[in-house]
Amino acid sequence: MKKIKPLLFIAMFFCFCQQGMPQTVNWNALEDSKHIITAGIGWDFSVSFSLGYAYQLKTNTPILLTSNFSIPSGEKLLDDFKTKIGGQVVFWNRSHLKGSITLNGIYRRFENPLVQLKNFGSELKGVLGFYKPKWFVAAEVGFDKAIVSDFTHSDTFKGTIFTTVKDGWYKPSSGGNFMYGLQTGYSSKQSDLTLNIGMVMTQDFKTTPLVPYYLMFGYNLRLH
Amino acid sequence: MNLKTLTVIGLACTLLISCEMDLDMNEPGNLVPKTVTEDPSLPSLSLNGTSLHAQTYGNPANAMVIFLHGGPGADYRNGLNVRQLADDGYYVVFYDQRGTGLSQRHDKNTYSIQLYLDDLTAVIEHYRTSTNQKVFLFGHSWGAMLAAAYINAYPDRIDGAIFAEAGGFNKQLLDEYGEASRKLNLFSEITNDVLYYDQFLTGRENEHEILDYKLAIASSFSYAEGNDEGIEGASPFWRNGAGVLQAFMDISENEGFYFTTNLNQYQTKVLFLYGENNKSYGLSFAQKEASFFPSSEIVQIADTGHEMIYFKWDSVHPAVLGYLNSLN
Repeated sequence: MKKIKPLLFIAMFFCFCQQGMPQTVNWNALEDSKHIITAGIGWDFSVSFSLGYAYQLKTNTPILLTSNFSIPSGEKLLDDFKTKIGGQVVFWNRSHLKGSITLNGIYRRFENPLVQLKNFGSELKGVLGFYKPKWFVAAEVGFDKAIVSDFTHSDTFKGTIFTTVKDGWYKPSSGGNFMYGLQTGYSSKQSDLTLNIGMVMTQDFKTTPLVPYYLMFGYNLRLH
Repeated sequence: MNLKTLTVIGLACTLLISCEMDLDMNEPGNLVPKTVTEDPSLPSLSLNGTSLHAQTYGNPANAMVIFLHGGPGADYRNGLNVRQLADDGYYVVFYDQRGTGLSQRHDKNTYSIQLYLDDLTAVIEHYRTSTNQKVFLFGHSWGAMLAAAYINAYPDRIDGAIFAEAGGFNKQLLDEYGEASRKLNLFSEITNDVLYYDQFLTGRENEHEILDYKLAIASSFSYAEGNDEGIEGASPFWRNGAGVLQAFMDISENEGFYFTTNLNQYQTKVLFLYGENNKSYGLSFAQKEASFFPSSEIVQIADTGHEMIYFKWDSVHPAVLGYLNSLN
């Protein structure tokens, strides 16, 4: 119960603030939906849970304004999290073939017994796929760039590792990761069930994160 | 002053302040300490094409005890209790192995087991003051594996050895120990403590500062509550060597290793230490490793785990001193 209350609070916060983001949508099932609420679970550098919200603009070219909040599993609820705010636009629009671009600003926080990190980053993603009203499959390629990070070290770090470590904002970029994979989904009247799966490699194309994969199961609820 | 001017001044100040506050993570001394090649005031020695961070304690004419730290990629800071042996009549030598601690960094693809053995030979030659001076190796964890590798290669050069929980004298034993000691619970805080920052903290292959730093902040994993190695808490270190760790992991995976082929020729008694609380090691693992030698003694260090030299030196010291004195 202790952990459910904060979760409810987060869910309500995002509903009221209209944040969140469906990174994965069926463009041929959107029609005139205005609001899209999403939830997801999967592997995103850790077992992660996400909530999101998107708003579809009334434009000839489909455009979504999106936001998303995710936390990794673990005993401490909000010591680590990631928020994304951005948009998705369809740049190539045929009846069943569509290409879209996603651009997000990212803010994330990480904490362990040795350090607290805050990071501002950006994400650019391209998706090209085949979309039917009931299902879709698409390829995705993205780049997540860490732009600037703040480091605050704990007393344990300073006491046992490096006494004169310098806390503060660090540039240049602390890194970046490429991701590539597939997304697919099944759509019904108001809902989409989605799956993203793929690999991650660091920006030098030589190294990978400790777990170089991502996997995300998602649910979208479309409202008018 | 109108609003436009104020805005311009405000933006300029913000830009100036933000520029001044920005730190460079590739600059040694910011997130990780400088190495001997960047800070000449550190005690060091140059040999075999590298510069090593090194210190000695005691009379150089006494029997030499060389402490080999763990890792690969750790350093000797948490083994400094061993310097007490200098008061017992030994010449104690510490060095950070090539590519780790405060020693010089090199490209990842230059590291090899043989190079580490050659470094150790050069360290012995550098500090040895006479040909009949006895040389003992005292290895902890990976350092104990390195001690075995050295004796396996040069059985007649070493006058005795202490192995404090070697992680495995061959690939099979290393895998066995690794599987027992590095279990991951995907849903736990400890797991995301070492994985989650991979999304925004990455380093290229030879960006030593950021890679070493990443390894440093992952170290809390080893002493997390309930850890199988019975580690009581944080113990000090200067700086990890991520490049050398990765290099040796690759060597282990791709080539395997066998530090055991000649150990049966080593007739001198060796000493094995293990921590009572290390569930991954224990008497049975110590017996497996000791069985490669014709003569050995196994001592349990009570109420501690893998970091026994730092946390329970008072219990380790009598066992080590008794062993050394029996051979000296």
